[in-house]
Amino acid sequence: MIAKKVSSNVIAVVLALFFAFPTYWMVTSAFKPTRDLSSSSYDLIPLSVTAQNFAAAWNKEGFLRSLGNSLLVSLTAVLAALLVGLLAAVAMSRLRFKGRKGFVLLMLVAQMAPFEALLIPMFLMMRDLDLLDKLPSLALIYFAVTLPFCAWTLRGFVNGIPLELEEAAMVDGCGRWGAFRRVTLPLLGPGLVATSVFAFVTAWNEFLYALSLMKDQAKETLPVWLSGFQTAFGTDWGGAMAASTLFTLPVLVFFLIVQRKMVSGVTAGAVKG
Amino acid sequence: MTAVHTTDAGVPTNKSAPRRAAPGGAPRRRGSSFDRLLPYLLLAPAFAAILWLIGWPVLSLLVTSFRKLNLKELTRGEVVWVGLDNYTEILGNPDFWIITARTVIFTVAVVGLSVLSGLLIALLMRQVSPVVRIVLQVTMLLAWAMPLIAATTVYQWIFDQQYGILNKTLVKLGFDGFAGYSWFSTGTSTLAVIGLLVVWQAVPFLAFSLYAGAIGIPRDQYEAAAIDGASPWQTFRSVTWPELRPLVMMLTFLSMLWDFKVFTQIWAFRKGGPDGASTTLPVLQYLEGISKSHFGVAAAVSVVMMVLLGVLTFQYLRRLIKQEGTL
Amino acid sequence: MGKGAHVKGWRGLAVGAAAVAVAVAGCGTSTNDSGGNSGEAKTLTVWLMDGSAPETLTNALNKEFQDSHSGVTVNYEVQKWTGIQEKLTTALASNNPPDVIELGNTQTAKFAADETLLDLSGDVSNLNGDQWLGGLKDSLTWNGKQYGMPFYAANRTVVYRTDLFQAAGIEPPKSRDEWVAAIEKLKTANAADPEFQSLYLPGQSWYALLSFIWDEGGDVAKAQGSAWAGALNTPEAKAGLDFYKKLVDTSGTKAPKDVDEATPQQFEVFAKGKVGMMIALPWELGSAVKADPTLKDKTAAFPIPSKTAGKTAPVFLGGSNLAIPGGSKNQDLAKEYLKLLSSAKYQDQLAEAGAVPGTSKDTAKLATSPLGKALAASAPTGKVTPTTPTWAAVEAGQNPLKDMLTAYLTGAKSLDQATSDANTALSKTLGG
Repeated sequence: MIAKKVSSNVIAVVLALFFAFPTYWMVTSAFKPTRDLSSSSYDLIPLSVTAQNFAAAWNKEGFLRSLGNSLLVSLTAVLAALLVGLLAAVAMSRLRFKGRKGFVLLMLVAQMAPFEALLIPMFLMMRDLDLLDKLPSLALIYFAVTLPFCAWTLRGFVNGIPLELEEAAMVDGCGRWGAFRRVTLPLLGPGLVATSVFAFVTAWNEFLYALSLMKDQAKETLPVWLSGFQTAFGTDWGGAMAASTLFTLPVLVFFLIVQRKMVSGVTAGAVKG
Repeated sequence: MTAVHTTDAGVPTNKSAPRRAAPGGAPRRRGSSFDRLLPYLLLAPAFAAILWLIGWPVLSLLVTSFRKLNLKELTRGEVVWVGLDNYTEILGNPDFWIITARTVIFTVAVVGLSVLSGLLIALLMRQVSPVVRIVLQVTMLLAWAMPLIAATTVYQWIFDQQYGILNKTLVKLGFDGFAGYSWFSTGTSTLAVIGLLVVWQAVPFLAFSLYAGAIGIPRDQYEAAAIDGASPWQTFRSVTWPELRPLVMMLTFLSMLWDFKVFTQIWAFRKGGPDGASTTLPVLQYLEGISKSHFGVAAAVSVVMMVLLGVLTFQYLRRLIKQEGTL
Repeated sequence: MGKGAHVKGWRGLAVGAAAVAVAVAGCGTSTNDSGGNSGEAKTLTVWLMDGSAPETLTNALNKEFQDSHSGVTVNYEVQKWTGIQEKLTTALASNNPPDVIELGNTQTAKFAADETLLDLSGDVSNLNGDQWLGGLKDSLTWNGKQYGMPFYAANRTVVYRTDLFQAAGIEPPKSRDEWVAAIEKLKTANAADPEFQSLYLPGQSWYALLSFIWDEGGDVAKAQGSAWAGALNTPEAKAGLDFYKKLVDTSGTKAPKDVDEATPQQFEVFAKGKVGMMIALPWELGSAVKADPTLKDKTAAFPIPSKTAGKTAPVFLGGSNLAIPGGSKNQDLAKEYLKLLSSAKYQDQLAEAGAVPGTSKDTAKLATSPLGKALAASAPTGKVTPTTPTWAAVEAGQNPLKDMLTAYLTGAKSLDQATSDANTALSKTLGG
């Protein structure tokens, strides 16, 4: 029994190393001086360290501006997708009506759309709406892309909350809305958080649309900015790694903020059993 | 909840019990037209957004697949109908079927591996000490949070023929054959490295979801199984698997959708090379569309992709919708 | 489109009125015969590529242009190479495309053939047409019309370490055989250092391969009427590929065989001081010097030698053209911008920065550095890739030449197999 416990822990640690290594490699490469990067010597642990790459990334024109753009676009899209998705989720989970199956199916089928291939039609549509070169169009697209998944996942979370709780509240004199707000919504918190993580990562990473629809450089998002480290003569690895580290930080912060909620979401899920 | 001893996987899980009650609750207050309209009002924003921002582009993609749309027609707004020409062009290309088969195999392999790993890690997480579990969770978060562009760059760097840390480490461990070994000399090995990257980033989400599902399984079921003297494998078959099955199916379905469309990673590594041997359908779509500016042909490839994805997931969707009906 | 014509009409009228006013008043306060002087605020959007023109040049150019065109703002943006194909596609199809764009000379034919660019045939003489660099002019000519203005070109030379050459008693080679001998000699002289590479040559440096194939008298593709077909299976092309392998084998270069000179950036490797030679563009040496300033005084360059002693091998004339999108709303202003850029002053600045200027045959400024001399020596024999619209897809997609190099160098395929596979793939892409 103890041997089994120990071996499980050992396996878990090995897995942790596997998951962490690329991040470790990204960060240490960012701290290596340029001349050490393409080195034949064995450098699992950096032989020398410099902050020069971070300085270069930080000082490269447009970092803060594109960070702001990315945050604005991603957060708007996530909030909108959560709100609209939640409304749909409640309808699909709690109410019975004609065409319900169709809506459920739509949420699944919509996720099959080849997002990258929609570039040209989406571009033409945004052009005709005169939305090219405007950040809201990106927020709108990210919202639409993450919406089906959000609605679908949230539906699962709503399903997981026993209806009896809501009914009990209604018996206690709350209206339907009151019952939803006081009982269901708080229990949904963790579900909303878990869903938002997914939506946020999707929006935060998106490159193709951000590149093609925003002609004006003042509107570029972080992934587009990051691609600037790939020049005509190759990639500035040190700079790219430093910039990637900076790029990862906001996501990580977001994750760490919501991480406790995610764990409690798991516990809330356990309550219903 | 009483302990379930049955080994019949087909028995509906107790977790779906509240779900089943759910839709039945509302009609009690039927009557007012507001009540009848309410679901549609709630669904309207999502419905409108999906139709407008996904449905319409998909429809125009379908229309485009019957048109000749090169850069010239695109910039001038010309409409040239070519009937089925785009489809005969792509379907007549002998490489097309190889590419399609490759895409399906790649998808199935990556989905299978990531769902299986996710499941095993989720179960493992229940076994380990809290500190180790948190460490594992944080490292998985790191993998998940790493931006795609950064991740592809780092992987290329790790697998670099000459300066990659992997080859250097292998040589250090005594495998001298890996000095200057190229991981990208064949399509299969290129796709294997890309597959590893995709699995590495996909597993955290799957493991977290399955872990949530796994610790939701009531303890008394395991206790009952233990009293019956069930082996770990029997416990898994009779308790864990029936509980997790619906979740696993759902995640498999979603992973199919995502992994079938993997493009950025494949393109970033070798642009579908060497000799086009790691080209998948999304890469073909890109080659036709962006590289050659044959957007009509590219649209036809996308339509074929959607159809194929529909065929691959049809059974699952049908079963799911049937299940919805019984609720 | 109606709107564009309308604006043009009004602008023409305004210009006429302004000209009359100036003539009548006899004052030269805002003497400007340009279309931008209508008093109406205008923005001229100019897209140049990352790393093309030096910042000092563009700053001066934009300032001068704005000063001489009151009311006009130049919206100058440097575009990244990653994703440029997508960005240009959508930009050209948008209602408000940029007014001046930079196109690689190998992709210009495609954009011209798709009728997305303004025909500049009538303005060639106005843009210093008689001084245009031949290789670039060919690249922007489609069906006998000119769809752009040459911007600059650069070709590869062999950058070498003078100190190491001296120590080993090597003279810059004058023929291919001498070059191979020099590689060998340098290698022997530095044999004590296991990290040393007498020549750094990554497996997919296909622009270098072009030189060797052309030097053998071959080409990558040949025109058959209006269609193009691959010519990689010819004895000349095979000989060129063989010579590439000879360089790799002789030098024992440690460079990866499955990437080009961009990963890792070869100047970084060179800058570490363990490399004797590299086949490089001028700015790669510039970047290496920036990384290690001591290299400045111990580097020079010689043209890629030919198999015929005393001659230089034809080189790939890489470079860019400037074009005006057909949908530009400020076409007249854009032409004036090009005219200003084509003037001797700015062409000299391009040459000083180490590029062969596109609209001036005066390379005196270029020939001041040893590298510039090597560059200027080989530029006249420079060649370009096939001028067919479908060539752009070869570079924007899966380049068969790169696959061919890797397959042959790693021994995965025989010479015949590698060349014939690549030839099939190339012919297919060129066929559209």
